[in-house]
Amino acid sequence: MMLARVADSLYWVGRYVERAEHLSRLSDVMLTATLDQNDTAVSVIQVAVAAAGDPIEFLEGRTAYEAVHSMVFDRDDKGSVVTSLAQARENARQVRDQITTETWERLNMLYLRVTDPQAEQSFAHASSAFLHSIIADLHLFKGAVDATMSHGEGWRFLLLGVYLERAQLIARLLDVCFGDKPGHSQLEDHFAQMAVLRMACALEPYLRVYTAEIHPRLILEFLLFDDEFPRSIRFSTLRMEEHLTHLTRHAAPSDRSGPERLAARLSARLHFADMDETLGAGALLGIVVAECARIHLAVYETFVAYPLEQRLPA
Amino acid sequence: MGVVQSMAESMSATPAPHAASALIGPAFYQPGRSYDEMLTQDGAVRSHYAALQSRMSTLTGAELADRQRTLEQSFLLQGITFTVYGAGSATERIIPTDLFPRIIPASEWRQIEAGLTQRLSALNLFLADIYGDQKILADGVVPRELVLSAPSYRREMRGLYVPHNSYVNVSGADLIRGEDGAFAVLEDNLRVPSGVSYMLANRDASKRTFPGTYRTAGVQPVERYPDLLLATLKSLASDWRSNPQVVVLTPGVYNSAYYEHAYLARLMGVPLVEGRDLVVHDNLVYMRTTEGLRRVDVIYRRVDDDFIDPLTFRRDSSLGVAGLFNAYRAGAVVIANAPGTGVADDKAVYAYVPEIIRYYLDQDAILPNIETYLCREPVQLQHTLANLDKLVVKAVGASGGYGMLVGPHATPQERAEFAIQVAADPANYIAQPTIQLSIAPCLVDGQIEPRHVDLRPFVLSGQKIVVTPGALTRVALKRGSLVVNSSQGGGSKDTWVLSETAPDGSAQP
Repeated sequence: MMLARVADSLYWVGRYVERAEHLSRLSDVMLTATLDQNDTAVSVIQVAVAAAGDPIEFLEGRTAYEAVHSMVFDRDDKGSVVTSLAQARENARQVRDQITTETWERLNMLYLRVTDPQAEQSFAHASSAFLHSIIADLHLFKGAVDATMSHGEGWRFLLLGVYLERAQLIARLLDVCFGDKPGHSQLEDHFAQMAVLRMACALEPYLRVYTAEIHPRLILEFLLFDDEFPRSIRFSTLRMEEHLTHLTRHAAPSDRSGPERLAARLSARLHFADMDETLGAGALLGIVVAECARIHLAVYETFVAYPLEQRLPA
Repeated sequence: MGVVQSMAESMSATPAPHAASALIGPAFYQPGRSYDEMLTQDGAVRSHYAALQSRMSTLTGAELADRQRTLEQSFLLQGITFTVYGAGSATERIIPTDLFPRIIPASEWRQIEAGLTQRLSALNLFLADIYGDQKILADGVVPRELVLSAPSYRREMRGLYVPHNSYVNVSGADLIRGEDGAFAVLEDNLRVPSGVSYMLANRDASKRTFPGTYRTAGVQPVERYPDLLLATLKSLASDWRSNPQVVVLTPGVYNSAYYEHAYLARLMGVPLVEGRDLVVHDNLVYMRTTEGLRRVDVIYRRVDDDFIDPLTFRRDSSLGVAGLFNAYRAGAVVIANAPGTGVADDKAVYAYVPEIIRYYLDQDAILPNIETYLCREPVQLQHTLANLDKLVVKAVGASGGYGMLVGPHATPQERAEFAIQVAADPANYIAQPTIQLSIAPCLVDGQIEPRHVDLRPFVLSGQKIVVTPGALTRVALKRGSLVVNSSQGGGSKDTWVLSETAPDGSAQP
């Protein structure tokens, strides 16, 4: 049992933290790609920008470096790394009494570092190292979450946010690369495909499963269906299902048809799907994004913004 | 005024040697009118400061500055900050914290503890009386219109049951030490006093900064404050609930004391709620949880009276809970502090506190008041206006260092303007002599300098009254300044109350 507002904030801490980490990784891979002046660089940059949710016009009139700079530091951009970290930290501050000091200090320190007046200078000085340390700090944060918070309701709401955001972000990345939208060419360049695996933090685990043979179909299979790799969509939906099953255990019976059922359905769908399904990867990825949005709404209806009339004592 | 100036001159004339030890001594601390917490009139170190002073003198300026930085960094990291909203951006600042603890010997603390207990007992009896039979008004000890016309008097509270007649459950009086070294009460702060989180955070910090000195000095612990607070709050509902649900009600994350609200909730292990988390139905108060609605029994509110219930008090408030006061009136929830306690720390009522103590307890006040002129009385108004250059004039309803004039430090023009305001609405003002607050050593820009300090101990009152053996010492950071409020650029430092017996078993002074 915890305050509805607190659950809401913890859920958003998870979402924003995951978003900041993903965007830092996209930025890092994008910057590394620009070291080569070739077609691979162009397509990696386009993938990264599209996966970050920006239109392709975003690149007009600015260099790749400037684009990354704004993806990291632009305070007016709701999706930038700094904005996401600021939001995560603000949500954490609102539930400061509910998270451990160790967890809070990790996030607060990171926030203070990226909002420091010196931050842009150290980014200019060593961009890759800067992004790298953000990602490393976020790993420390998640480690502190795991190691110091009670694995109860609050912890589950936080992780629910992490995995829901992750499933959506990976689905969007895959859709940009291998979706079958008309007029949209698939990514065929070998180096670009490696870059995509890097963006999902999946290169090394992929190589261990499939060896250095890189193929869009295998990338899709790995990132959609693998049930051991923590950044696959299947893995994420399994965790969502698990957390929601625990969370709804105490919810009023009338709500039992809510979010945990949706999560279980999505998870089963991925479990029994196969790549040769006629609908194709694009349609399946579309389902993932849409179902995640429905789960989000169901979470709100069940735990946070429920109508009071139903919950008043008789 | 002259004294303040000459002291400032003696400070600026001090050279800046590398070893801090050279800064402490008769050459630096000129015997002035202010009472010095550390040194006697002839420059000797007071015995209860001996351990700290000998440690201070072995540290160089650079070492001290280094410790100060570590301290500030740890406050920033913990998020013990308040937000300053400037043009287009918000920056977070820590309330400046000083490295050196202020030390109070056991004998002096005994008097403070007895004085605060006596004072709060009397003030609770006073509140029960003015919201009840009003005997003290009928007997003419306190003027009837002074109490009943005060904006902080809540007629909604008339005749309500308050558990243990304990209206003020948490208070944080401001004590000052005058030139003679005697403590006196400056303000009672009976509404929603803040600063207790700084007392705890400062203690945490000073234990790390001066571990050896802390051990040898024999300091009384303050760390029990959160559980004593919880016990006090629970005792308010113990008559009708075996394990009452306590919550802390905060105005929200944008409040300057938000850190403290979250800190206390975390250390007590109770939910930190905002107005929007609470719902009143059939005069019962619930909080919205992930599993539906849960009963709330005791609300430690950190929201002012005006804002707790838009149906009873201010209608434009969105911080409170609609219907909360009705639930309180019905006895289904306890609000701590009770609404309407502000009338007892009204600056005009303050002048009568010694009489109030005598009336209810038949005792003399252990801790004296500061001499106070009520501008509502024509003679005292005349005296005030004629002596504006020597007095501190305060608006009776205001707090936090706002709406006040420090006569000796104001320009003739500021005084003239303030005189017009006072003459226009005399009942709204009181005047007090300018007290030279005592001074204590502080680290300023790597040097040890004296600064004026006050003392805010925290007193809990439920079934019984408990004084936490410690306090927040507030520091006026500007050289010579007498204003310690954090909203006016004040800082704070830890306060060590020494045990009756030293760690080696010998008796302490």
